[in-house]
Amino acid sequence: MSISIYAGAFVISLAIFILGIYIGTLIDSSNIELLSEEVSSISGRMASLQVLLLGGDNESFCPVYTSELSEMDREIEDIGYKLSFLEDERNVYDAELKKKYFLLEAQSYLLSQKAQELCGDDSTLLINFYSNKDCDRCREQGTEVLKARDTLASEGISLKLFSFDGELGSPVAEAFEDQYGISTYPSIVINEQTYSGFRSSEELEALVRDAQ
Amino acid sequence: MDIAMLTNYAIAFFSLFSLNVFILLYLKHRKDYDRPVKPTSWTPLLSIVLPAYNEEQYIVKSIRSLLDADYPKDKLDIIIVDDGSTDNTYRVAKAFEGQNLRVFTKGNGGKGAALNFGLAKAKGELLATMDADSYIAKNTIREMIPHFEEEGVMAVTPAVKIRPSGSWLKEFQRVEYLMIIFSRKVLSFIDSVPVTVGPFSMFRKSVFDEIGGFDEHNLVEDQEIALRIQAHNYKIRSSITADVYTEPPDNMKDLLKQRVRWQRGGIRNYWRYRGMIKPEYGDFGMFFVPLNFAAITAFFLVLGLLLYSLFTIPYYYQYVWFETLGMQINLITFIGAFVVLTSTIFLWIVIKSFKNEHIKLRYLLSFLLFYWYLMVGFNVLFLLKELKREKYSW
Repeated sequence: MSISIYAGAFVISLAIFILGIYIGTLIDSSNIELLSEEVSSISGRMASLQVLLLGGDNESFCPVYTSELSEMDREIEDIGYKLSFLEDERNVYDAELKKKYFLLEAQSYLLSQKAQELCGDDSTLLINFYSNKDCDRCREQGTEVLKARDTLASEGISLKLFSFDGELGSPVAEAFEDQYGISTYPSIVINEQTYSGFRSSEELEALVRDAQ
Repeated sequence: MDIAMLTNYAIAFFSLFSLNVFILLYLKHRKDYDRPVKPTSWTPLLSIVLPAYNEEQYIVKSIRSLLDADYPKDKLDIIIVDDGSTDNTYRVAKAFEGQNLRVFTKGNGGKGAALNFGLAKAKGELLATMDADSYIAKNTIREMIPHFEEEGVMAVTPAVKIRPSGSWLKEFQRVEYLMIIFSRKVLSFIDSVPVTVGPFSMFRKSVFDEIGGFDEHNLVEDQEIALRIQAHNYKIRSSITADVYTEPPDNMKDLLKQRVRWQRGGIRNYWRYRGMIKPEYGDFGMFFVPLNFAAITAFFLVLGLLLYSLFTIPYYYQYVWFETLGMQINLITFIGAFVVLTSTIFLWIVIKSFKNEHIKLRYLLSFLLFYWYLMVGFNVLFLLKELKREKYSW
């Protein structure tokens, strides 16, 4: 038997494997770093928007305000997907980054409410409270929310999505939970009205249409 | 870490390990790889059994190549067995009948039976089997015979090649055949040649007295006889300088049919000889036979995992699939890329090692790009036929 050949092949394969794991770790940490930078950059822009808001309630700033806000919403949503991807597919989890992300979500939610008040933005705001621990249907709920938004968009109804991991220990998420009386996961808040338990996309669509 | 991920890691490691074994074997024996065979003055009587079923189109070329071979004519005993052809094969072959060429006809009974029929008529110390759609080069016999001077060698296989044709499908198979010749040569360094190829192979005739003739009910009787030789702990050598040319399937339907037959028959044969997974069978028993089972298992596992991930793909992927591309690089993709890169270099080494074979770059690239998809096709069809319990026949 060619033991030396098999041993050699094993060692080389193992070395390549270890190199692969090392490169994978490097890529993961660089991804987290990039996401952190994105979060910081949006935080800065969000702060500018808040200053703009404090500056007065003149309706002339509404177009700038709403367009900048929706641009940031899109970016925040993308960051959310990327965080989910890293969490689901790569088992990479950074609690601090996630807390910063939820802070952004909270700011965006509050600013969207202001946009409704001041600029007459007719978007419906939906918050999805979920948990990554002991919640069988939370992942499914996330999908149903996205499906509902896509269907409603085809009807011309704008639905803005926000989501909070209630068990992450994020102070903002907890504050929101207290405000809306969240006691179970998943729970949905549509224009400040709380709905506990799983809701299918069809149910969500009906609730949003009613809220309009 | 979930089971799917662990399975992926195991398969990635296994692919890497197998590829490395082949590379190390080649590097260890590279000086022997194309070392010319020592000529011999030994010219034993060689019987060549050529079974033919409806081969009127190709048989003339096959017979001519035998008659033109650089080997004493009185040491050749050519036996043509017409296996109940419905065309003019028998009549065409009969025209060549002479002192060293006999032509027989029998009712159709399949290739294994025709080979055994010829075997019973053979007078030679050595016996070659040949396909009617193949032909040998002038020096093929002289290149193969010296290998029998090594003790324990009971069979020798040649380098089965395809002539350049310009047809995409044939060129594709041409590259594949060169890969096979290379791999078989490398396997011969660890006494693990798994097949005595149908187009042309040579045996010590006495081996059949000991282990019996060809299996008449086997889809790949040329593999079964090789496994039986291995099971008796005899050696099979591979010559890369003895060229034999064969006519490959020229359309996808025939190619699929051929490959599914190889796959169905092949797996059955390995299963039949699974008892060889023992240290006493050396590398063949402890590496090559398990490698075949592992490869087919890994293939279907990968396919299953791929389908599973397609069906369970998160809904949000449609928004960010492209943006998370960079993030999707992980250990598996890294090793996958490494295996692809190493295989490409390996293919390059193989092609370069055949100094007289010039293959256009476009065929090499398409082989690299599409071969895996064809493999998927062959294997899926194989699985479907097995699941449907479709009749096991040629």
